[in-house]
Amino acid sequence: MPVMRLGYVHVRVTDLDAAMNHYSNTLGMKVMHQEGGKVYLKSWDEQDHHSVVIEEGGVGLVKLGYKVTSSDDLAAFEKRIQQFGASTERMSSGENLKTGDGLRVVLPSEHVIELFTDMEYVGTETGTLNPDPWPRDSRGAAVHRLDHALVAADDPALVERFFSECLDFRPAERLVTDPSNPELIGTWMFCGQTPHDIAVIKGPNGKLHHFAYWLDDWNEILKAGDVFSMDDVSIDVGPTRHGITRGKTIYFFDPSGNRNEVFTGGYQTGPDFSTITWTADQVGKGIFYITRELNEAFTTVFT
Amino acid sequence: MTAVQIIRVLPKDVVLPLHSGDSILAAIVRGGLKYLYGCRRGGCGVCKADLISGQVSYPVAVSDTVLTPEERADRVVLTCRAVPATDCTVQLRSQCRLTSPFLYDIAQRELVGSQDLKGAD
Repeated sequence: MPVMRLGYVHVRVTDLDAAMNHYSNTLGMKVMHQEGGKVYLKSWDEQDHHSVVIEEGGVGLVKLGYKVTSSDDLAAFEKRIQQFGASTERMSSGENLKTGDGLRVVLPSEHVIELFTDMEYVGTETGTLNPDPWPRDSRGAAVHRLDHALVAADDPALVERFFSECLDFRPAERLVTDPSNPELIGTWMFCGQTPHDIAVIKGPNGKLHHFAYWLDDWNEILKAGDVFSMDDVSIDVGPTRHGITRGKTIYFFDPSGNRNEVFTGGYQTGPDFSTITWTADQVGKGIFYITRELNEAFTTVFT
Repeated sequence: MTAVQIIRVLPKDVVLPLHSGDSILAAIVRGGLKYLYGCRRGGCGVCKADLISGQVSYPVAVSDTVLTPEERADRVVLTCRAVPATDCTVQLRSQCRLTSPFLYDIAQRELVGSQDLKGAD
């Protein structure tokens, strides 16, 4: 069975208290656990124990966790990854809080991803019995769930090949230099039915561009923007729309400078989706459809 | 509130008022100018500049991975988090543009105002 979804993002933050305030009060995540300089957070519409881990010290990405369906699937992926030539190690149950065993992989771009089958079930805040559409006591931007991450790689094509050959991800959208002699600058890949679960753009190996949360509609995006202003959040771009994925968005930074996104919209992908191509000369429109201009921060800020 | 401190921004060579608690970036933006900065939260390193004179402190900690101890010793500053403790001269590493004559004007009037008060004895 395919990889399910991005299960967790683990990032470094310079100031744990400021970060906890951002992810919990501004974004509305719930603090599930605090221990050893790490805080574990969960969004209201997620089932698993946590989706974001913030760790005190430094900035940037520690690792991404992708959930898979079964141990058999994990073993099959492991074989393919080893055949690809990436370095892997088995991780045991409990190495990550409330998380079962799995596989840790170092990508060609030096990012660490973990494939896991199991995390403690907590349930959504609305529940599964005659539920309300949203929780009455939601805070701030009230992000629904973790949606995707975008990372930087010196060789995006190689990382695309990894996700494709090892994990059956497919590209929904690709950004190339010149269609006649295309060098891959960016790729947006999915494992389910959304526009992307992982994306890779040309940039320094090991770095994070952003990770994103799902909101339901343009109104929620605007409300999030208002909350960001109330909470003195540094805004990168938005509210606006992407050409790539059609998604509506705000990019912003946490108190340590890690970029976050609130995102909604897009289209349905799936195994028979026809890949969309963007050419570099239209990259402004691809990234920011309305202004059709790249801002400097979007292409220079990585953590 | 009358500014009692100033910041000189090079190479554009303009002088702006410094409000208590403002970072170098905040002072420059308040003065209607823009230069290359990124996250504005001390994580990306894009806004580094060189402190030619004066002292700064970092009330909000900046990671050593972003601004290394060697850089700090070399008087490299992360302008989004560096808060001047004294009058300062800072050399920016990117082009500095006047984007708001409106704000720049207010800043210059503030400087003149504080000079008048200083002179009034």
